[in-house]
Amino acid sequence: MQKFNISFLPDKKKVFITEEVNLLQAAAEAGILVKGSCGGDGTCGRCKVIIKEGNYTTKQTGKLTKEQLAGGYVLACQTTAESDLVVEVPEASRLSEHQVLLEEETVGEAVSQTSVDPLFKKIKVELPEPSLTDSMDDIERLKMAVRKETGIENLRVSLNTVSNIPGILRKEKWKVTVSLADVLGYTEIAAVESGWDYQKYYGLAIDIGTTTIVVNLVDLESGQTIAQKGSYNQQAVYGDDIISRIVHATEEKNGMEDLRNAVLKSLNELISQLASENHIDINVINYAVCAGNTTMVHLFLGIDPKYIRLEPYTPAINIPEPIRAEEVGLQICKTAWVYCIPGIASYVGGDITSGAQVIGIDKTEKVTLFIDVGTNGEMVLGNQDWLMACACSAGPAFEGGGIKCGMRAMRGAIERLDVISDTLDVEYSTVGGAKPVGVCGSGLIDCIAGMHKAGIIDRTGQFSSNLTNQRIRNGDDGPEYVIVSKENSGNGQDIALSEVDIKNLIRSKGAVFAGIRTMLRKMDLPIEIIEEIIIAGGFGRHISIKDAISIGLLPDAEFEKYKYIGNSSVKGAKMVLLSKTARDEAVQLATKMTYLELSIGNDFMDEYVSALFIPHTDMTLFPSLSE
Amino acid sequence: MAVNIVKDSYKSKVVEITVGTEANAIKIGGDSTLPFLHFEGEMPNKQVLCLEVFDMVPEGWPENLTAAYEGVMSDPVAWAKKCVEYGADMVALRLMSAHPDNSDTSPEDAAKTAKAVADAISVPMIVVGCGVEEKDAKVLEAVAEALAGKTCILGNATNENFKSITGACMVYGHSVVSQSPLDINLAKQMNILMTEMGLPNERIVMDPLSGAVGYGIEYAYSIMERARLGALMGDKMLGNPVIAYVGQETWKAKESKASVEEFPEWGEQAKRSILWEVVTACTLAQAGAAIFVLRHPESLKQLRVHFAKMMESNAY
Repeated sequence: MQKFNISFLPDKKKVFITEEVNLLQAAAEAGILVKGSCGGDGTCGRCKVIIKEGNYTTKQTGKLTKEQLAGGYVLACQTTAESDLVVEVPEASRLSEHQVLLEEETVGEAVSQTSVDPLFKKIKVELPEPSLTDSMDDIERLKMAVRKETGIENLRVSLNTVSNIPGILRKEKWKVTVSLADVLGYTEIAAVESGWDYQKYYGLAIDIGTTTIVVNLVDLESGQTIAQKGSYNQQAVYGDDIISRIVHATEEKNGMEDLRNAVLKSLNELISQLASENHIDINVINYAVCAGNTTMVHLFLGIDPKYIRLEPYTPAINIPEPIRAEEVGLQICKTAWVYCIPGIASYVGGDITSGAQVIGIDKTEKVTLFIDVGTNGEMVLGNQDWLMACACSAGPAFEGGGIKCGMRAMRGAIERLDVISDTLDVEYSTVGGAKPVGVCGSGLIDCIAGMHKAGIIDRTGQFSSNLTNQRIRNGDDGPEYVIVSKENSGNGQDIALSEVDIKNLIRSKGAVFAGIRTMLRKMDLPIEIIEEIIIAGGFGRHISIKDAISIGLLPDAEFEKYKYIGNSSVKGAKMVLLSKTARDEAVQLATKMTYLELSIGNDFMDEYVSALFIPHTDMTLFPSLSE
Repeated sequence: MAVNIVKDSYKSKVVEITVGTEANAIKIGGDSTLPFLHFEGEMPNKQVLCLEVFDMVPEGWPENLTAAYEGVMSDPVAWAKKCVEYGADMVALRLMSAHPDNSDTSPEDAAKTAKAVADAISVPMIVVGCGVEEKDAKVLEAVAEALAGKTCILGNATNENFKSITGACMVYGHSVVSQSPLDINLAKQMNILMTEMGLPNERIVMDPLSGAVGYGIEYAYSIMERARLGALMGDKMLGNPVIAYVGQETWKAKESKASVEEFPEWGEQAKRSILWEVVTACTLAQAGAAIFVLRHPESLKQLRVHFAKMMESNAY
């Protein structure tokens, strides 16, 4: 098999690849993250690169314009080398910095630091010296001392720890520092050090999101977060959504390894940055708690995800046990444990359990709706008496996917927008105040609300035929509304929302609302019964409740009922990391939740169709909107 | 032991629609009960039985159907008169020749035909387009104008073309058939959009699109039933009379067309085809349909007897 050198510009990075490897994979290997929304199928057209030198074969060019073809553009995922190549990766094709939601204001009670009882801790003990009348063996002596100090009964110790124990115990006259790691069901004596001077020790709270990854470095003694970092999940190269990633993992050669390596690489990069910036050794990071959706956890642990997406949608595991960091591939202390918060079903995972626990949904009398307005659209409804969860698969529209001018909340994204009713002009603000290059989720919601109010579209999202305005014109996908013309945009292109885009967004918002209604229907409860609505997720933080209600995305409840919680997933992970009780409660919470399979029966479909309307087919559900 | 008759009381009723002019006007709908439950509420108007007329000679009709219209099938005016003779409450004119694959008749010519038919008969009319949405928008606009003052029902308005049809009917005083594909929510959305354009609610007839017996009628049945229950419970956007294109659906069925030689176990075609039409109509009447567009005069005759019986009071 032939091998070629590919050098990427302007990064000047080189890789040596076989003729089978396409340029999207080659770029990933070189550490350049190229957009690959469709997972390398050649259907999204986002991985455009320019071949500067060399011979190549390219299978598909359908997504490229004539000018681009003439300029040497190809789709990276469709192109393989026939000689050494020089390839330029334009800015537009790169995954750029993303607004990663780190810490946010908390809802209700903040994570209590007073009763820190972390899953890993060090304790000081002094062992009674052995004598002729007390000739107990060293390990039993140690265990007894630990038991006396902590009350922990079920203690285990590995051979590795036992091997040098006699010397360690005697070195500082029976004063030792014992490291205890909680491993579901027993406590491991992870290490024993002589004397009572010990190094600080840390843990990680990790949120493995489909799109972004957030890591908190936590001082396990004080319970304080020392630092946090977030970045892209590098799996994005193999698809934007979990389904295309499962497909890649199960149908491509080495697909599973690709995805596992991508997420590990993302994590290990963040961990090593956190460690070096805070001057700590990775070996003092002794425990990690991860929260992620079911697919993310499968891919992270290298578990076959194939049947998650196949009827009847069964994951391999919902409640994973703690696993050694070394085995997982996480670059922290080798003997550290990695624990993933339990999930509920294929599409409601540990990230949701984690969030549900943070808000204490199982401890309140108030009927609470906890909702992650994202691609998977997971939601939990209930209170201390009953809990129900579902995933409405809202699709990536609100995160910019499938919308021509859509983008994530990155620099230059229009995040707020107002349509002026009489002139149909637009007032907007962008992330970072930059020149606009697209519209992110919050802006898209504002835009539909504004377009409907101004009469540009009717309740089904169809353009009004009797409006003439320079901003309304016929585009490639039928009628469209120009939000920003190319003279004023940051990328020299018109930013316009077409009827196809709007219908896409209506489907997304319809799915979310239908999910809520279906859960209520199962319990035979009216929508007014909901006393609190808590919105999680990166995108959720930016939406305007008023506009979300006016398009029928969220229930027409008083604004006071709404709260944002931000990245509740990482908060829950931290809570579990710092408390055994919280860990046990998380397991209970996950087992207590009833998963509602929306593809069974007519309820969801019925609710979905009635929600494909602005705001809804049943206007009585939106009393505040009827003038 | 005495049995108490359980009676539901509903807070609302089906909208009453008036079509036709003066002495020939007929009223449709207005029910304040489930179909034929005279002991609970009112069914003030009887079922409307229509016969269909094509503006071109239709293809593929079995012999027992064409025989009923022998000699008039190439002349829509004569055909319509024949329908009235057969006792039709309304004539449903289908402007099939406007279809681009047929003779692509212009909107003006189609309107002329409609006018000629309307002038020749005394009963009210339903005028239906060829089914191609863009074409129907234009054809029905012209028809609406030509039939100004006749108070007809025009259709079918779909999600794609309802705006122009609704607009024209508002101006010229006709009612509109709002058609949606077997979904109660879509039916409701159409009604909302049409009333928001300013069309009064009592000018809308709903067509949830039914299949014939054996070809998906159970879907339509439950949709119509939901619409009726919605109407009685006070949902204004579901409270419109329902039209059922029975003939169009049943005469497509193999059971209506195939000869006894082909399927000996099915029995005689002439009898079977009528039954298919009659049973479909009876079933949909139980679900709440008010207007039945039929093809065979024999079906009409049998249904007339059946419905007369059903409309006798069963109050206790």
